[in-house]
Amino acid sequence: MSRLFANGLMKLRRRDFLKAATIATAAMGLPASMVDKVAAAIKSPARPPVIWLHFMECTGCTESLLRTSHPDVATLILDLISLEYHETLMAAAGHQAEENLKRAVEKYRGKFICVVEGGISTKDGGVYCKIGGRTALEILKHVSADASAVVAVGTCAAFGGIQAAAPNPTGAVGVRDIVKDKPIINIPGCPPNGYNILATIAYILTFNKFPELDELNRPKFAYGRRIHDHCERRPHFDEGRFVEQFGDEGHKKGYCLYKVGCKGPVTYANCPTQRFCDVGVWPVAAGHGCIGCTEPNFWDNMIPFYEHVPGVEVPAGQGIVGKAERIGKFAIGAAAAGIAIHAAAGVIKKATTKEKEE
Amino acid sequence: MIVYRRVKVWSVLLRLYHWAFALSIITLFLTGYYIHNPFALGPWEGTPTNFLMAKIRFVHFVAGYVFMAALLTRLYLLFFGNKFERFTDFIIFRPRNLVRLFHTVRAYLYLGEHESHGGHNPLAGTVYLCVLVLSIFMALSGLFMLYPEGGLWASWGVALFGTQQIARLFHYLLFWVYLIFVMIHVYLVVWNDIFGSEGIISSIFSGRKFLKA
Ligand code: HEM
Ligand code: HEM
Ligand code: SF4
Ligand code: SF4
Repeated sequence: MSRLFANGLMKLRRRDFLKAATIATAAMGLPASMVDKVAAAIKSPARPPVIWLHFMECTGCTESLLRTSHPDVATLILDLISLEYHETLMAAAGHQAEENLKRAVEKYRGKFICVVEGGISTKDGGVYCKIGGRTALEILKHVSADASAVVAVGTCAAFGGIQAAAPNPTGAVGVRDIVKDKPIINIPGCPPNGYNILATIAYILTFNKFPELDELNRPKFAYGRRIHDHCERRPHFDEGRFVEQFGDEGHKKGYCLYKVGCKGPVTYANCPTQRFCDVGVWPVAAGHGCIGCTEPNFWDNMIPFYEHVPGVEVPAGQGIVGKAERIGKFAIGAAAAGIAIHAAAGVIKKATTKEKEE
Repeated sequence: MIVYRRVKVWSVLLRLYHWAFALSIITLFLTGYYIHNPFALGPWEGTPTNFLMAKIRFVHFVAGYVFMAALLTRLYLLFFGNKFERFTDFIIFRPRNLVRLFHTVRAYLYLGEHESHGGHNPLAGTVYLCVLVLSIFMALSGLFMLYPEGGLWASWGVALFGTQQIARLFHYLLFWVYLIFVMIHVYLVVWNDIFGSEGIISSIFSGRKFLKA
């Protein structure tokens, strides 16, 4: 890292360092007494080398890390790991960059952590994403084979992300569909909260093991609970006070965004407690519903973003999106019509046939 | 002159199950629809707190547990109930039941006479079996949404549905399926009471049907 920012532009003041270490410790759910231990681990010279790969993505995860209003988090993350290869940050380019990657993999074989940002194309042999003449698929398989662990940063790397959304023309998938023989941590989000990345790495450094993971390999300290269960608008939900429309009276009063499509009830993340941008804000606080960006296939499952259950395609795959409710009502209508016709036929039959005396 | 015997077909347990199932589902419809679309504006700020949504969800969950208890009862009866209650009585994979199925469809199309028999006709029985299977999914998706954080239901839920949103969609689509089932069910029960001679409606209270001697 020091090679990349040799001019010391992003040197951290001690106070800022401790502040960030404290936030990361709190994010992991550890008591304040652990801050020293975490801070020590972060500063330890035996930091694991990291190779940071970029595939099909917008680089938003890296960008959002670098663009925090205080450079603390980004600096810390980039500082606490010795970054050997990061396409966005490194000075090298072209053949030199390829050479660096090769060298880093050889030098740290079996020791480095492979961080992946972006989805991987698999269709037609993965030709839709190539770097230096090699497909993303090839690069990932090659690099991850020598890594000690793989950290998938962002929803694209974790679950495929937007390029994996239907109809997924390039056959994009997440790391977990390709790398089967290495431990994987997913830190999804679009983008993920910088503190969750920091805390995950700090956890590994402090305890020399992975944090507890959920079924989707997400660290439980960050993705163990649903947005809805920690939301500051939850009292309005329980009370039945809803925003009916953006900009209405309820919206001005800060009511619950459930009826305008908030996906908080189905999304696991710590946004309400961890918050973003160092100013204690998150989407729901700002008046927009959660869109469920930490969940698999959220571009397919969580749409429409402004309704809380998704539309259903009828007929399947034909692209005519009807709301589940409309379909339901139609089916009810059809059933009612069927019953009416059947009953009418019965009445006619009763009227026209003579009842046998029994 | 036709002579009828009054035959016991439904055990007490089955009748209890039926009404626990039916009443819980009606409650689940009403509360579930409110959860889906909280149409009544809750009290605006300033009025005394009453936790409308929280209470309605509570009722939904209580009814959900009644529903699941009834479901388990019926699953038990499928194997250990009396001979009319066991699944072997009405599944269509039996020559006898295929003939009955044909007769049932013919009667429903007004092309033949209603045939009376003790248990379910195979058409109804098959639909009831499907409803039981759907009920298992309803319960699993409900439990996944109810206990989202770790543990058994979360693991099952992720394995089965992938995400909470898919579970919710499933739960919601099945809501409409149940609604349609109940409409047709109640209609056909009344129809059978008119065109049949078993006294089918009273059978779900008394457990007895009238069969030709
Ligand atoms: C036939 C039976 C049932 C029907 C018709 C039904 C109907 C519904 C409906 C329409 C919703 C709203 C879905 C939405 O968000 O749009 C809902 C939500 C829900 N149901 Fe059910 N349900 C049934 C059984 C159950 C059972 C057995 C359970 C489990 C105990 C359950 C638990 C839930 C939960 C946890 C929610 C989400 C409520 C929330 O968190 O806001 N349901 N149900
Ligand atoms: C006024 C309402 C209802 C009446 C009069 C009624 C009546 C009956 C009768 C007579 C049967 C036995 C049918 C036969 O002999 O083949 C039956 C079975 C059944 N009913 Fe209903 N029913 C009512 C409401 C409901 C509702 C709301 C549900 C909810 C889904 C329901 C679910 C079932 C099921 C699943 C069975 C099959 C029982 C079994 O598993 O053996 N019923 N009902
Ligand atoms: S705004 Fe969203 S997350 Fe918050 S209580 Fe309402 S539905 Fe839940
Ligand atoms: S509130 Fe929802 S959509 Fe927004 S960042 Fe958090 S998980 Fe993603």
